[in-house]
Amino acid sequence: MNAGLRAHNLVIGYDEPLATALSFGVGPGEILVVVGESGCGKSTLLSTLAGVTAPLGGEIFLGERNLRGVPIHQRNIGLVFQDPLLFPHLSLIDNIGYSLRASGQSRDTARARATELLEWVGLSEISGQKTWELSGGQAGRVALARAIAAQPQVLLLDEPYSALDSPTRLRLLADVKDLVIREGIPTIHVTHDHGEAQLLATRTLTW
Amino acid sequence: MGNGDEPLSGAISQHLPRSLKWLWVLPAVLFLIFLVYPLVRLTTTAWSADTLNALTSVRLWQVALFAGGQALLSVVLSLVIGIPIARVLFTYQFPGRGFMLALVTVPFVLPTVVVALGFRSLFGETIPNGLLLVVLAHAYINIAVVVRLVGTQWSTFDHRMAVTAATLGASPMRVFTTITLPALRNSIVLAASVVFIFSFSSLGIVVVLGDGSSTRTLEQVLLRSTSVLLDFPTALAAAILQLSVVALVFVIAARISRNEPKAKVVLARIPLGSRKSALLTGFTCLVAFILVLGPIASIFWASISSLEGPTLQWWGALASEENTRIGSPAAALGRSISLALVTAVIAALLGGSIAIAVMSKKGIIATIALIPLGVSAVTLGLGILLAFSRGPFDLRGTGVLIPITHALIAVPIVVAVATPSLRNVDPRRYFVALSLGAAPLRAWWTAFGTVFGGVMLAAGGLAAAVSLGEFGAATLLSRTDSPTVPVQIERLLSKPGESAFATAAVLSVILVALTMALLLIVDRLASKRVFT
Amino acid sequence: MFRFIAVVISGAIVLSACSSSPESVPESTPVSSGEPQLQTVRMITHESFVLSPFFVSDLRDQGIDLQITSTGDAGTLTASAILAAGEPTADLLFGIDNTLATRATGEGVFASYTSPELANALPKFVQDTQGGFLTPIDFGDVCINSDDTWFEQNNVATPTTLEQLPEVANLLVVQDPATSSPGLAFLLATVARFGDDWPAYWESLRDGGVAVAGSWTDAYYSQFTPSGGDRPLVVSYATSPAAEVVFSEDASVTVPTTSVLADSCYQQVEYAGVLAGAENPTGAQKVIDALLSRKVQEDIPLNMFVYPVRADASLPAVFTDFTPVIATSASLPPEQVSAQLASLLETWGTVMNR
Repeated sequence: MNAGLRAHNLVIGYDEPLATALSFGVGPGEILVVVGESGCGKSTLLSTLAGVTAPLGGEIFLGERNLRGVPIHQRNIGLVFQDPLLFPHLSLIDNIGYSLRASGQSRDTARARATELLEWVGLSEISGQKTWELSGGQAGRVALARAIAAQPQVLLLDEPYSALDSPTRLRLLADVKDLVIREGIPTIHVTHDHGEAQLLATRTLTW
Repeated sequence: MGNGDEPLSGAISQHLPRSLKWLWVLPAVLFLIFLVYPLVRLTTTAWSADTLNALTSVRLWQVALFAGGQALLSVVLSLVIGIPIARVLFTYQFPGRGFMLALVTVPFVLPTVVVALGFRSLFGETIPNGLLLVVLAHAYINIAVVVRLVGTQWSTFDHRMAVTAATLGASPMRVFTTITLPALRNSIVLAASVVFIFSFSSLGIVVVLGDGSSTRTLEQVLLRSTSVLLDFPTALAAAILQLSVVALVFVIAARISRNEPKAKVVLARIPLGSRKSALLTGFTCLVAFILVLGPIASIFWASISSLEGPTLQWWGALASEENTRIGSPAAALGRSISLALVTAVIAALLGGSIAIAVMSKKGIIATIALIPLGVSAVTLGLGILLAFSRGPFDLRGTGVLIPITHALIAVPIVVAVATPSLRNVDPRRYFVALSLGAAPLRAWWTAFGTVFGGVMLAAGGLAAAVSLGEFGAATLLSRTDSPTVPVQIERLLSKPGESAFATAAVLSVILVALTMALLLIVDRLASKRVFT
Repeated sequence: MFRFIAVVISGAIVLSACSSSPESVPESTPVSSGEPQLQTVRMITHESFVLSPFFVSDLRDQGIDLQITSTGDAGTLTASAILAAGEPTADLLFGIDNTLATRATGEGVFASYTSPELANALPKFVQDTQGGFLTPIDFGDVCINSDDTWFEQNNVATPTTLEQLPEVANLLVVQDPATSSPGLAFLLATVARFGDDWPAYWESLRDGGVAVAGSWTDAYYSQFTPSGGDRPLVVSYATSPAAEVVFSEDASVTVPTTSVLADSCYQQVEYAGVLAGAENPTGAQKVIDALLSRKVQEDIPLNMFVYPVRADASLPAVFTDFTPVIATSASLPPEQVSAQLASLLETWGTVMNR
């Protein structure tokens, strides 16, 4: 049922196009890594796909659904930024369960599912900690669990964990790779690091 | 406030240069001399056994209850109007932003008599005097408090938080209520408490726009007991009750503020990208423009019209005493401007020292700095008059009493607006500078100097604006032959005759323009330093 | 600017040091160049005090450096004087009126002084010294003002007596006596006229639709018809019509369009007094004498829009032309006002539902 995401002649940018029209697709079990220098528009690409920025032209399809005009919260596209951006006023459990509450599920259901996911990313013993007490690696895992909890049809990773030290980041990214391939979540990952791209990509798009 | 103890300053406080550790003494001493001493002096003079009786009178508490209800409504309305404006002005970058920010600050510093007359002429025929009109006027005056306090925190809010929440399926409304509002919580609590206190202790507005029953305030009881009935026990009881309520409000506010560190501070404003956000911004600015200028439009009109039609002669007579017989408008302007400058310097020193004290974990100082909010101008003015008019304490002739009083009145606002910026500086800069071999004081300056300069500028500018518009204390402390502009306006407005009214209108318009210019300059200079 | 800060800070330090040693500091007397004998006299007054500059310069020629400070309105001024009784903040006070005088003299605020100049006052003021403590300086009336143009254009008869007012109460705006001095004077006028029945009179005003403003400014400048309001009758001063002429834009405006309802007036008298415990009582007495001098008395009308007490003071033309001599103005004994004020305001509040 997850038919992935396709972009057709997509033109991104604010007032001026940042690149020529792009056409690409990503399906279940695939990680499309977009490699390019900083500032070339990779983040704009992701924010266009997520619905934060309107495209200057072209179409985006999620399965058969044309996303033109669909607001961010109805797209079911997960987005993880460089920073984990955990909500500081919520507990770890409520961070992870946020999407479930947003989709109308009860607090108890959301918490039960969030507890499972926390265990799944291997952090159940720190569930009582405040968001700002976590190490960078821990916060990154919580952010991932939070994105996965929403059961996104596509996951967008915007240079995730780039603030972390290299070993931690690579270990985390390897986990991410295993996860999205096992769960069959189509993933688009942007980075400026060619090594990282080679490590993760099932396909690469060089800007 | 409770956020005076934000953990960011944790490490800094232990490494603060020794010389700066004692800086809090300066504001503390000034507060003791010019705030605590006069109030103690006034209390001991006016105290009698009847004060206790008055304190237990049911009527006094009824007034407090009514005033509390009125103040709550004013808070809600100010937030509803102020928060959308804060969002537009502090998250987007667009031409005219600085102008709008200065404009919404104008009502806050206008003399209340001007605001009250403006409201009467705008709504006199549609809304009767009473609760609604009073609440509207309070919201009008306090838009700036909400916009500036909430906006400052909003500009440090990481917009990607909201995007993340939206990608998790939260609708815009849900994002706002579950992510954005909680992130703004501390500033909203602070703004709400400040607006509550202003409305709770309001005087000029409730006298002109109130109905005498549902809109009474303790301040009104205080004035009536002092100046009409000469019933000092009741006046003192009202003052004590009012100060207690103010203290209580701050305790509650401190309780419900959170102590969360900010993950990462983002001070960049978003350029207006989409057509939708441009429209939203334009619309909000237009509404704010009309809201701010609507009630004072009649004053503008009065300054250029006469019974015979439009005229510029009131403006032409600025330097003459002929129209008023109570000194030329130009002289009053010159006096007000120089007082404002002196106030700015004192307030910048006070605000700066307090900001440093707050950084070094003397959070209690920030709380004490808010006390003047709850002391009425009449009380403080009378206290200062009693304390400093005689013998060795005689400061009346020196001309320092008005600027010092104005600085005290402005300090709470200055502290509330200015200290968050200092807390936003990454303390690691200080340690980096230390590690590079800088002496502590120099390292501190390297790390915080630029921002600190911005804070002092902003503090001084806001205090100057407050001083330009302040009436209550000035009327008790100024020499008759040298009134400030607001005192002059008030005096003109209590005289019959076309030229008196028109000259008051001219002065009001100048006051608006002067305030705007001052805030524009200060905002620009300060933001260059703070947002780098 | 920085020197100023240094002054402030060192002033603060000096202050805190002084507070522990109660010994008095010798009185400093500012000396201006060429006038070695100048003595300082300090006067507190209310914010409406205005006289021509010669008042201060003439006193300077007599060796007196007069420093004038204002302390809010007349009520706040009186309150501050009572709070500082015995240790006054100045040498003399000008501007206490007949509603509050008794209270202040009873608290020992003033030292006895009767100016020799008072002999030249109108007969009814010669003995009006509130027990020898105060000297009357000027007087004026609070009266209903009417907008003649409105009454003419609307073919309505202008009321001429207090008794007629309830019928046209919906045309009248008064001020809350608890927050406005003319408002209080008008309340006292009705008490003087109707005695214990005054609440019934106010009930009829209330039922007739009288408007109550919080301040004179609001009543006069936003509710009175000449200012664009909808009430052609307002509680103001007997001299307001004259002031309208003096302060009009157009020099050709020589006749006021408003007039005074003479039957409604209540007289206010303003006094000056030497403060008990003054540092310079003799200087203060000289200033009071100066306030009663003919030259200053004749300067009073066009500055403060009240009448001088001095019998031989001549009045400006606008006063003689447009301000009727109020022969019938009411007044109450200060002792009575002082004793009843709280309950009067209380009852008024109940009647008017405020």
